[in-house]
Amino acid sequence: MKKKLLSIALSMAMVISLTACGSAQEAAPAPAETAAAETTVAAEEPAAEETVAAEPEEDITLTMAWWGSQTRHDRTIEVIEMYEKEHPNVHIEYEYYSFDDYFTKLKTLVASDQVWDVFQLGGNFPQYMDKICFLNEFMASGIVDTTNISDANLKITQDTEGNQIGLSNGLNTYGIAYDPAMFEEAGAKLPADNWTWDDYYEAAETIHEKLGIYGSSAFGSSDFIAGCSTYVAEHGTVGQYSFFNIDLSGMGFDDAQMLTPYIQMRADMIKSGSYPDAGAEAEITDIENDFLVTGEAAMTWVAVNQFPTIYDDCQADGRTLALAPIPKVTADGPDGAVIQSSQMLCVSQDSQHKEAAAAFISWFQNSTDCNNVLQGERGIPVNSEVRAALSATATPGQQIMYDYVDKVSGFKMPDKYNVLSPDGQDQVVDNYRNYIQQVAFGEISAEEAADKTYADATAIFN
Amino acid sequence: MEQKRSVRTGNRLYKFINNENTVGNVFAFPFIFGFICFSLIPMLTSFRYAFTDYSLGTKTAEFAGLKNFIMLLQDEVFLKSLRVTLRYVLISVPMKLIFALLVAFLLTRKSKMVTLYRSLYYIPSLVGGSVAVALVWKQLFARKGLINMILQAQGLKGVNWFGDQKLALLPLILMSVWQFGSSMIIFAAGLKEIPAVYYEAAQIDGANGFQRFFKITLPCLSPIILYNLVMQTISAFMAFTQAFIITEGGPNNSTMLYALYVYNQAFKYNNMGYACAMSWFMLLVMGAITLIIFKTSKFWVFNESDQ
Repeated sequence: MKKKLLSIALSMAMVISLTACGSAQEAAPAPAETAAAETTVAAEEPAAEETVAAEPEEDITLTMAWWGSQTRHDRTIEVIEMYEKEHPNVHIEYEYYSFDDYFTKLKTLVASDQVWDVFQLGGNFPQYMDKICFLNEFMASGIVDTTNISDANLKITQDTEGNQIGLSNGLNTYGIAYDPAMFEEAGAKLPADNWTWDDYYEAAETIHEKLGIYGSSAFGSSDFIAGCSTYVAEHGTVGQYSFFNIDLSGMGFDDAQMLTPYIQMRADMIKSGSYPDAGAEAEITDIENDFLVTGEAAMTWVAVNQFPTIYDDCQADGRTLALAPIPKVTADGPDGAVIQSSQMLCVSQDSQHKEAAAAFISWFQNSTDCNNVLQGERGIPVNSEVRAALSATATPGQQIMYDYVDKVSGFKMPDKYNVLSPDGQDQVVDNYRNYIQQVAFGEISAEEAADKTYADATAIFN
Repeated sequence: MEQKRSVRTGNRLYKFINNENTVGNVFAFPFIFGFICFSLIPMLTSFRYAFTDYSLGTKTAEFAGLKNFIMLLQDEVFLKSLRVTLRYVLISVPMKLIFALLVAFLLTRKSKMVTLYRSLYYIPSLVGGSVAVALVWKQLFARKGLINMILQAQGLKGVNWFGDQKLALLPLILMSVWQFGSSMIIFAAGLKEIPAVYYEAAQIDGANGFQRFFKITLPCLSPIILYNLVMQTISAFMAFTQAFIITEGGPNNSTMLYALYVYNQAFKYNNMGYACAMSWFMLLVMGAITLIIFKTSKFWVFNESDQ
């Protein structure tokens, strides 16, 4: 009896697997056909390149991904739908992530040669160089329109050999967003244009004492940008020092102890409670639930493209934020600030539809309609016409951002600077943040932390 | 003739299908396929990569000899993660097993609700390892989370769970203890197997509840305790989700569980070769600990055939 049951079960399994095969076979011809169609199109293309190339008639599916906050997700999805409506043959499959998850996913896709057709990259692009399809040929053939993008703005997303890596999503720089009302309530000195890290520390301590909130919200991984990249550049004369050297082949400064005062300040702030400890810091998942926005801190570090979003969020609660430059080491020393590309869209080498992807990127930067939706959330548009159109209708938060970037552009900057990160920087950053914790817990001294950070960074180049 | 032959081939086919080896292999095929493709091949590949400087970014793998393993011993974060993980295993596994045994023991009573209760207590294990639960846990133990609100309502001071490096591991341990369901089910099955006559005899001899538990239940259950101990130890070494979601390893790497550091090295820092070496090192550690458990088991596991 048991055997019979078993044989029935087995034959059932066979029947099921057979039907499964059958349906698979039915479905199979479809992809084969499209593959054939693609090859014929590819064969025809050279003959009719000028007319067909930019707008292929076949249905195309592009994949795209980005990182960012909820506002960015909503707006980007809206413009993707807009593009699909304008180009019925193009279908875009999109994915979005937080910053860390985005790069984790990207690394696995790099390993399996399946990087999204259109993908977002920032200053860490050098390690993905193999996967980036340069835009040069598309600019030459006119698929990527750069008429209204100045050479200077093209240059910020070129490599040292002049290859166009992507089109910048916008200009960007860093600043400190703060709530002036909280400063006044606590009696702290408001940030001036040439305020120093000592002023920052004093203000944070005062606010913490008087109001019982964090004086400064957590900088997160930007603590490295503040305490290393910027802090080093603020020493000496303009352009004398940088954390890594210009061509990312070694260090840009010799004295590790240059890092010590910042580490000491940060550890002191964690100890006194004017800066969030690691536990509280882990509660911040993106800029929109930063402690400045939730009212638990009086200031925070921002990339200025994030400012309009949090400005609006706070405005809804009846609070008005302001934007101050990054504090300096000495009031009359270098500013350490640089104008850079916030991030860019790139075409992937793995893409089957590089031209269509390039065309989308061109539209993304050049279409006024598109950017009216995006509202400069990724940074100040590089296309001069788009920028003019957006400034005409700027919200108060955006106006502050525009004015701020104009102000920073007037700062004295080194002739040459490099905002890119070498491969291996992530580990240096994580270790740096951990050393600060160790100083705060009294396990090592700030001097040791500085030496260790310097050693970690040097180890990248060995 | 024709008919006879077809009957014979039919018979042969019938015999083939019903052959126990065929049946066994067919049913084992999904596992064998999965094991080879998703366990064996990746394991062998990772063994090879452990001796290279393979990186997901550059995708080049140059032979590096034992360099990765030598670097391990100089890596502060690695040594710390090893200590943290051992601490996690040493505290969470016994707590979980004691708790599971306790609940299983309470649920052996003959009552109609027992099945319901068992199912209820099993639920945390069903949802336990998920990201969603880790996020809930993060909220519960947050500075202004439920646990601190309860403490404050009792007039106590709120505890900075994830900001204090001595405490941060505790919520993660509690989360793993909370998922005691599968050990509990196995204990419950074991408890059922203990013949009731033992207890009756002991009762007649005047043994009290504690004596019955320590002299009858525990020895009879010891093979099952051994099984649960080994399984839970191994899975505790591989704990990842809680640390990744809730604390990201902080503060001061006090919750940097081994699996999380392997993940960081592999996917965040682009040192896949190094991460593979770490994984194989962990395999050695886990193997050694399991071996110790088995070797010591003859001193405390009761085996009827020995008697």
